[in-house]
Amino acid sequence: MSILPKTNELGFYEIRLESIGGLGANLAGKMLAEAGVLGLGLNGSNFSSYGSEKKGSPVKGFVRFCEADTEIRAHSPIEQPHVIGVFHEALYKMVNVVSGMEPEGILLVNSAREFDDIKQDLKLEYGTLAIVDALQIAVEEKTKVNTAMLGALFRICDFLDPESMKMVIRKTFEKKYPHLVEPNIRTFDRGFNEVKFKTYETPDNAEGKEFHRAAPQLGFETQEIGGVITAQANSILKDLSGSRQGFLPQFEQEQCINCAACDTVCPDFCFVWKEGEDKKGRKQMFLQGIDYQYCKGCLKCVEACPTSALSDMRETMGFADAHRVKQNFSLAAGGML
Amino acid sequence: MAILEDNLKTMKAAEQLTTFESGNEMAAMAAAQINYHIMGYFPITPSTEVAQYLDQMKARGEHDIKLIPADGEHGSAGICYGAAVTGARVFNATSANGLMYMLEQLPVQSGTRFPMVMNLVTRSISGPLDIRGDHSDLYFALNAGWVILTAKTPQAVYDMNILALKIAEHSKVRLPVIVAYDGFFTSHQKRKVNYFKDRKIVQKFVGECPTDYNFARDPKKPVTIGAHMNGDDLINNHYQQSEAMYAAGEVFKEVSEEYAKLSGRDYPVLDLYGMEDAEVALFLLNSAAETAKDTVDSLGKQGIKAGVISPNIIRPFPSEEIRKALKNVKALLIGERADSYGGHGPNLTHEVKSALQEDPENQTIVLSRVFGLGGKDFYADDAEAFFSAAIEAKEQGYAEKAFDYYGHIPGKKEQMLLPVITPQHGEVYNTGLIKTEKDPETNKLKVKIPPLRVLASKPKRIASGHGACPGCGIFTGLELFFKGIEGDIVVLFQTGCAYVTTTSYPYSSHKQTMIHNLFQNGAATLSGTLEAILELKERGEIEVSDDATFVMVTGDGGMDIGMGSAIGTALRNHKLIMLEYDNEGYMNTGSQLSYSTPKGHMTSTSNVGRTQKGKSFHHKDTAQIMASTNIPYVFTGSEAFPQDLIKKAAKAQWFAQNVGTVYGKILITCPLNWKSEERYGEKILEAAVNSCFFPLYEVEEGITTITYNPEEKNKRVQLPEWLKYMGKTKHLLKDENKMLLSELEEEIEYRWQRIKAKHEHPSL
Repeated sequence: MSILPKTNELGFYEIRLESIGGLGANLAGKMLAEAGVLGLGLNGSNFSSYGSEKKGSPVKGFVRFCEADTEIRAHSPIEQPHVIGVFHEALYKMVNVVSGMEPEGILLVNSAREFDDIKQDLKLEYGTLAIVDALQIAVEEKTKVNTAMLGALFRICDFLDPESMKMVIRKTFEKKYPHLVEPNIRTFDRGFNEVKFKTYETPDNAEGKEFHRAAPQLGFETQEIGGVITAQANSILKDLSGSRQGFLPQFEQEQCINCAACDTVCPDFCFVWKEGEDKKGRKQMFLQGIDYQYCKGCLKCVEACPTSALSDMRETMGFADAHRVKQNFSLAAGGML
Repeated sequence: MAILEDNLKTMKAAEQLTTFESGNEMAAMAAAQINYHIMGYFPITPSTEVAQYLDQMKARGEHDIKLIPADGEHGSAGICYGAAVTGARVFNATSANGLMYMLEQLPVQSGTRFPMVMNLVTRSISGPLDIRGDHSDLYFALNAGWVILTAKTPQAVYDMNILALKIAEHSKVRLPVIVAYDGFFTSHQKRKVNYFKDRKIVQKFVGECPTDYNFARDPKKPVTIGAHMNGDDLINNHYQQSEAMYAAGEVFKEVSEEYAKLSGRDYPVLDLYGMEDAEVALFLLNSAAETAKDTVDSLGKQGIKAGVISPNIIRPFPSEEIRKALKNVKALLIGERADSYGGHGPNLTHEVKSALQEDPENQTIVLSRVFGLGGKDFYADDAEAFFSAAIEAKEQGYAEKAFDYYGHIPGKKEQMLLPVITPQHGEVYNTGLIKTEKDPETNKLKVKIPPLRVLASKPKRIASGHGACPGCGIFTGLELFFKGIEGDIVVLFQTGCAYVTTTSYPYSSHKQTMIHNLFQNGAATLSGTLEAILELKERGEIEVSDDATFVMVTGDGGMDIGMGSAIGTALRNHKLIMLEYDNEGYMNTGSQLSYSTPKGHMTSTSNVGRTQKGKSFHHKDTAQIMASTNIPYVFTGSEAFPQDLIKKAAKAQWFAQNVGTVYGKILITCPLNWKSEERYGEKILEAAVNSCFFPLYEVEEGITTITYNPEEKNKRVQLPEWLKYMGKTKHLLKDENKMLLSELEEEIEYRWQRIKAKHEHPSL
């Protein structure tokens, strides 16, 4: 008798983790997979989306479980998972996180928000929504989001043994960082216990969320030969605000002395300047604000600011959009923006 | 791989453990169990992890392999060859352009008949650059004279690595062996894998290292290795090599059989699935063959007789076995993850066709498809499409299109790239506020720059929206430098983080012209661009402004592998700037040590553990190396001292326009791999300068000037004031590593005193 709650036609129970680089989704996926394969003797595979993506860029983690005697031959990314774990809500802007979710699938989200709000944002019609405020737990316990998410994922994958996972956590930390053992076990437990569920009834004829395999923007008739790009600086079309991990700089113009120290240290060129006249009528540059579309929340500017014009804050929904000062790029006619 | 059940029952198979690991981990584990003497390596994705895992194990004292970080793959192949001629056991791992860069050495190794084992973690070769997997690198190795085994799964990677050494050292073979497995699909996916509990079992299986050959190891038996030949002799040498290669095919069968008894895992020459009665078949290498097996199962349920052929060895090519396997197949599709442009089908298509040609009765219709390039995924439905094409050919009795690509799309006109910003050039970047002139009294350049606030009006050269990590130090360093440059620039970015994060197709974060070339060659490349533009201008074929400045941007890794190119360019004294952003490691490939990594610092190839405490040798003094080429201007700079850096940029521009080559090194933070807090970027750099680890100075026409002396400003701090910010140096502050810390401090002090002496004495 299988311990796996359900499997697809190849015999796999599949989990997809949606995150940004740096939150530890990769490690959480590995721990989850090891718990099933080495802990319970299932067969399984685990991998991540590959590339040169840096910290803060969208990443995916994949776990496949199957019976010990089922061979795993598929290497391709998981398109129609039974469980999706979203480590970072701001991803919605960049990635269709629910793509391919099966009708009775479970969607776990790291969020402090309400079920129906998330359901609406993700245009979810049915399936089970699970919410855990992993960031809050991690902040309180001074640990990492992924451990709290792992706790919640163990609750969802109830065939796995949370006690053996706690042993692994203990072993990982006790030698080098003994003071981190208890906070991490508490984080795991809290993720496990604090995750809340709401099931939206699935009609009999329900179909899963369609999975879209992304096609490239250009093809062999539309690529310039040799891969030359002629649209210089088109990366300004990108929205990188999803790279922030919960904090951003806040600007108070009254306190600003326009020293440009922030501008000097900003890796993402977020500071917007405008020429004006100073009190003596001389032409001078004045800082207008921050273009949050590109701000990755490194907070170097807050450290560099000699006054209190820049300070850090925990990002709240809508703040960046409301306070964004747009960069004044010299846009080409016909260009997209 | 098929489990030999009979063997499992009858043999006393050696005890094995189960683990959950990736292909790279298993390659490293096999190497550690064999306990090779030497590994010479250079990091390249996706093979790098093999060296990283071995370094981690080494730090824990789990093997004795001497791991030598080379200056590039050409160097790594040299290290391996030099070690192999002593009869030592030698190991390497590489991918893509790493293989291309060492290609010259491959026939040297095989033609002089020194065995070794190299893992080729297959990846697409440039250009355009693509870090994901295909077989374009592997196909360049087909003619190198190496035996090539192909491993489809992490389990096969482990097993093949053990087979490989035994085959390589076999008295009938004596050839180097490649174990090729798919980058990412096999190298990075974790699977359930069995391995021998006791490394002695592995060592006993591969046997003692043979000593009955001519080696460079004993002064009592002097030998000449590598004499040159004429054709009369060379043809005989190569005949020997050809015979040895075919012998390797037979030895593979023997060794594989013996291994099956020990492990319970069998690797026949061909992995055949559903081929007993198959009417249509696919021929696929490595991981894609696994995917296709699932499709064979589902087609079987529909009553379609389909099969998959996938070789476990491709050098020597198993022609006879393939002929047999295809005897009754009506239509075969050969899917290949690389092309042989213009060859009417990639390499293996022709090898399979030529195998079939020797069977006069064979009627198989052969289709050939190039697919899955650059890591493009191969799904079950792709395998279905391949089978459909084969079925169609079978039914029609001929191939509609014998050779084609698969998975390419025409694209839509409405999605074509359009300019987003107006071209940024000329006056846009000319503030007129930066003045550089020669002071007739001192004969040195004098630079006037306005306050930073005023320069905020100057647009950036690089656009927002690049994909660097939060808090990355590269772009602040580069933009400060560019602030000091007036007018147009032409930049060349060598491979590295700055390149990768600003040019993710179809996006570019460059406002002005950017050229990329591989990082052993950027300086030479830009010297060619510069001279061509000057020549075109000279002949009146182009009209461009006079003041364009040519800048080659590189990381510290690029100054390791590209040192020869950089020095050559400096010696030719082209009017260009080489700008190095130094983050003390190969951060783009996952934080491996560079020669600029300071001693004791932790990286993914200089781990900290019981038997090893970070990097074992001191950091490279690139600025002094470049200064000794006697180019007109060399400088160091940092974001933490912005005015200093902008002034140096202005001088650099003046020298590059009027005299010749400039080299500058900017120290930048890498919060991710320095394991430091993003927000402290500037403070960390300030501490690096104030501790005198990174003195700010310039060498202007041979005269050294310290441009900021922390001692005079009463700002000098002890080295730990810098080290304390970074996780990669935390261990250096522990009591047990006191000696190591003081060694680093002494070296830094020694170098600082030398710079001071040079500052004080113009003739030094």
